[in-house]
Amino acid sequence: MILLGQQIENHFLEEVNRKSGSNVLECYQCGKCVSTCPVSNYMDFPPREIMQMVKLGLKEETYMANSMWFCLTCAACSGRCPREIDIPRVMEAIRHLAIGENADPDNPRVKQIRKFHEIFLDMIKRYGRNYELRMMAEFNIRTRNLFKDMHLAPKALLKGKIPLGHERVGRTKAIQRMFRMAEKLEETK
Amino acid sequence: MTTLTYFPGCSAHGTSEEFDSTLKLVMKTLGVQLEELPDWNCCGATSAHVMTENLALALPLRNLVLAERLPHKTMGIACASCYSRMKATKAEMDAHPALAQKINSTIVEEGTYKGNVEVKSMLQFFYEDIGTGQIKAKVTYPLKGLKVACYYGCLLTRPQRITRFDSPEYPMSMDHIMEALGATATPFDFKTECCGASFSISNTEVVLSLSGILLEMARESGAHAIVVACPLCQSNLDMRQPDIEKKSGITYRIPVLYITQLMALAFGYPLKDLKPAKHIVPIEPALAHIGEEIESPQKTPKSKKAVEAESEVE
Amino acid sequence: MARVGVFVCFCGANIADFVDVPAVVAEAKKIKEVKISVEYKYMCSDPGQQMIRDAIVQHRLTSVVVAACSPRMHEKTFRKALSDAGMNPYLLEVANIREHSSWVHQKDKKAATEKSCDLIRMAVAKSIANEQLHEISVPVTKRALVIGGGIAGIQAALDIADARIPVVLVEKSPSIGGRMAQLDETFPTLDCSQCILTPKMVDVASHPFIELLPYSEVLQLDGYVGNYKARIRRKASYVNFSSCTGCGACWQKCPVKVPNEFNMGIDKRKAIYSPFPQAVPNKPVIDAEHCTMLLKGKCGICAKVCEKGSIDYTMKDEIVEREIGAVVVATGYDLWDPKPYEEYGVGRFRDIITSLEFERMVSANGPTGGVPVRPSDGKVPKSVVFIKCIGSRDEAKGIEYCSKICCMYTAKHAILLHHKVHDSHAYVFYMDIRAAGKGYEEFVKRAQVETGVTYLRGRVSKIYQKGEKLMVRGEDGQLGQVVEVEADMVVLATAIYPYKDNPDLARLLGISYDQYGFLSEAHPKLRPVETAKAGIFLAGCTQAPKDIPDTVAQASAAAAKVCGLFADTTLKKDPMISVVNPEFCSGCQNCINVCPYQAIVTEDIPLGHGSKELRTVARINEGVCQGCGSCVAICRSMAISLAGFTDMQIINEVVAI
Repeated sequence: MILLGQQIENHFLEEVNRKSGSNVLECYQCGKCVSTCPVSNYMDFPPREIMQMVKLGLKEETYMANSMWFCLTCAACSGRCPREIDIPRVMEAIRHLAIGENADPDNPRVKQIRKFHEIFLDMIKRYGRNYELRMMAEFNIRTRNLFKDMHLAPKALLKGKIPLGHERVGRTKAIQRMFRMAEKLEETK
Repeated sequence: MTTLTYFPGCSAHGTSEEFDSTLKLVMKTLGVQLEELPDWNCCGATSAHVMTENLALALPLRNLVLAERLPHKTMGIACASCYSRMKATKAEMDAHPALAQKINSTIVEEGTYKGNVEVKSMLQFFYEDIGTGQIKAKVTYPLKGLKVACYYGCLLTRPQRITRFDSPEYPMSMDHIMEALGATATPFDFKTECCGASFSISNTEVVLSLSGILLEMARESGAHAIVVACPLCQSNLDMRQPDIEKKSGITYRIPVLYITQLMALAFGYPLKDLKPAKHIVPIEPALAHIGEEIESPQKTPKSKKAVEAESEVE
Repeated sequence: MARVGVFVCFCGANIADFVDVPAVVAEAKKIKEVKISVEYKYMCSDPGQQMIRDAIVQHRLTSVVVAACSPRMHEKTFRKALSDAGMNPYLLEVANIREHSSWVHQKDKKAATEKSCDLIRMAVAKSIANEQLHEISVPVTKRALVIGGGIAGIQAALDIADARIPVVLVEKSPSIGGRMAQLDETFPTLDCSQCILTPKMVDVASHPFIELLPYSEVLQLDGYVGNYKARIRRKASYVNFSSCTGCGACWQKCPVKVPNEFNMGIDKRKAIYSPFPQAVPNKPVIDAEHCTMLLKGKCGICAKVCEKGSIDYTMKDEIVEREIGAVVVATGYDLWDPKPYEEYGVGRFRDIITSLEFERMVSANGPTGGVPVRPSDGKVPKSVVFIKCIGSRDEAKGIEYCSKICCMYTAKHAILLHHKVHDSHAYVFYMDIRAAGKGYEEFVKRAQVETGVTYLRGRVSKIYQKGEKLMVRGEDGQLGQVVEVEADMVVLATAIYPYKDNPDLARLLGISYDQYGFLSEAHPKLRPVETAKAGIFLAGCTQAPKDIPDTVAQASAAAAKVCGLFADTTLKKDPMISVVNPEFCSGCQNCINVCPYQAIVTEDIPLGHGSKELRTVARINEGVCQGCGSCVAICRSMAISLAGFTDMQIINEVVAI
């Protein structure tokens, strides 16, 4: 059961609105986003319910949901939303707020997704461009699933689908500097 | 001779090499010069904007700034994901100059962003700048008999206020180009449904499910092959097809070709230039349909009531 | 010597809480011309008014100042009090010490009190220069024009005509009946629409006080309330109505087929046609845009088969004029085009139809014999999905408002489908069920319980084709599950929208319209059938979406307003209008250019007494002038003054501060 009425202000809603540029209060719960979203059945709470949770100020519960980690940013929902709410940006706002507050849903799949993104960004930091083979290898190692997609390896490598080598940007130091400055900016917010 | 600034994206020399190589062939035939953006960096793809705010804008911004050093007014981007990130960043920077200034001055040191280079996807460039007329004129090997399902994916036409290109629900630009090449574009209701995108590695189950649906609907539409303009879509539909077949128990064997591969073929380049070996699902069986007769569309029978109603008035 | 009475109202606590009324009263007494200054709790009440009346007599007052609420509230009340005491009502001035003082300066009682004193001082000074004005009488032509022959226009015309007032009813299509003639059965009674409508249509045709002008349109409306002149184009029908018997031989033989508008384009009609069997008048017309004879000079079959020789290809459009006292606009609604819903495959899938198309299909006199039928293959659908709010409540693709009737007619469609196709199943995707009228909730319950229709709460996100079926995808919000319905046919409840040319009609009549094109009422709550232009009234969906009971009520209300307007032989008008002094008028005509009501014309008067030479001056039409003052401001010769706001009155006010 959810208990309401103890707090008058809803800071969570204000933050989400500010970061996303949309007003979640406009959502009239029509559910078009839910049946549009290709991964709504994988989400703990589909987009419509996330909107309601934000409206009710249920910050902790929202952070623990896997919804914003499963969002593909395919933008099919916002294209159809009759109130023109930028739903992917709302998901992104919640996600960034969660990252900022170190909220981590204790969900193995979410952990995997986060790990993938961290590795990907690491590749860019090192090389300025993605090194696909290394990325896949590191992912397997870090998720303790050494043999994932191994069945693809022979064909993929033989056909040259996934190159063994990699390219890099001319001045990788410039890229690393970008990462540093970006982090600094994030902290000063 | 038009020159286009070319942004290849991280997969262009790797998993989507056949897209890159056939693109260059097609551009040669069309008389467009490509100048690869020097020292381009990864646009950040999905991971940057999922995990960060400023870095997600800075990485594409660096590329936009670098592009402004070249004299060409348009930058063409092959990968749909890179296109989406660059265009979204450009829209954000143009709409919020204060934010642009902040990111530019603190993170991106390659120059000051002016916003005077237009960003287009290759599909958009073919459709708007070249046009189906010119494309048709270069066809020496019409692809008559080949039925293709044109799959656009999420990012070529969405979000509409950023791409401002074709329809976000039922686009027809690729279909029209295919028809200009002589092929038949099948009516494919799932042309903009997501394939699973970046979950290919981290959440493979989703890709198998979503791409599986796409393969099923493409097959039901009667297509011999699927045409795409996005490396991630190609990878999900092609590389993962054996896994999908294993999971569903259905044999699809539908090859997934890049739009530039079919354009190159129609422009007269030999099959080997399409790099068929790169495909997990072989492309030759589908291409064998070229030259076959297509049956003419049947006329829908009039309803009994409608016929009665008409004869009544006679 | 001026003798002014000042009456200050407490207005309960409204004024008294923030203004020191006794102090104001005392301050007013200090003015030389003020002979009596009193206060009262509620000046507008009977005792309050009596106080004023008594004071006028007792103190032989020459003008009255009431310091109270806005004149918009009670100016009329106090003017009546003056005239009851035998004083010209325009010798009243109202000082608004509520809206202009106590309500807006609640934080500073001292300042509010000072301001109230100033306002009263100004009002006293102005009132001293007030002139005795008299209401103007304007003649009134007792004939009404009703534009639109749907149920709204029909009802208004009948009500006005029953009051023995002549009505001219103009309808743009060949027959009256409008949208209601297209309906099968109506909610919540399931009355056969034609059966309850046609008696009224026949009444209109046979009513001695109604002149029915079918196949006509209004071209121009000049004039002002009570004195309009309408120019109407009677389109050429090419059929001589007096000899035509409506036998139908002509349209049976006509070889030209045109999409049938009455049946929403589902089937075809001929170039010579009558829209539906119960048409009034029951005579065909020739559609000049498609008739081969009129376009190319070939064919002529209808003339050959007509036994009465009623066909006349040489007929021309006729322009007629009518003098009119009041107008009722009842031009009805159009359906919004659902084309923007690309995700539903609108335009691509033939088996997706609009609600009006479905209505025509289930109608006994419709194109499919009263049974719904798939346009693609003619089969009778078993699984039908109804989608509500198509365009309505959709800021992204359509319009923000709710179309009011779709929830009810969709429940009705579920019932009709069940009656016509016994082994069918209806599904309704909805966001809400709006059933606010009398018997409406009960009707929806009846639909749900009797037909087994499945209501699913959620907007449809996509429709795609699977073989012969349409797959309709949406969320069932109650279960929290995405569902897909295998449908044979999909019916879209598309939004009600004004006709595209409604704004043009509004401009023609000189009335306003909103951002969608709906005609604007004078006040949304208190004046729903009037427009801002005196003498022009609204009825039906041309003003806003509504159902038949509300339409009929609004039509009767408009008729009552018209009858009220015509109750006397003349109309009384506010005398606070502009007046030209021809002595000072130079004839520059600046005032004519600036008048928003076209109330000023030129007049040629003799140069001097008995002179033969003429000069041009301006003359203001008393009946049309609304007293806005634009001409007063622009007149460079200072020849125009506004009664009730003369220069002297204004100067007095300014000097008094």
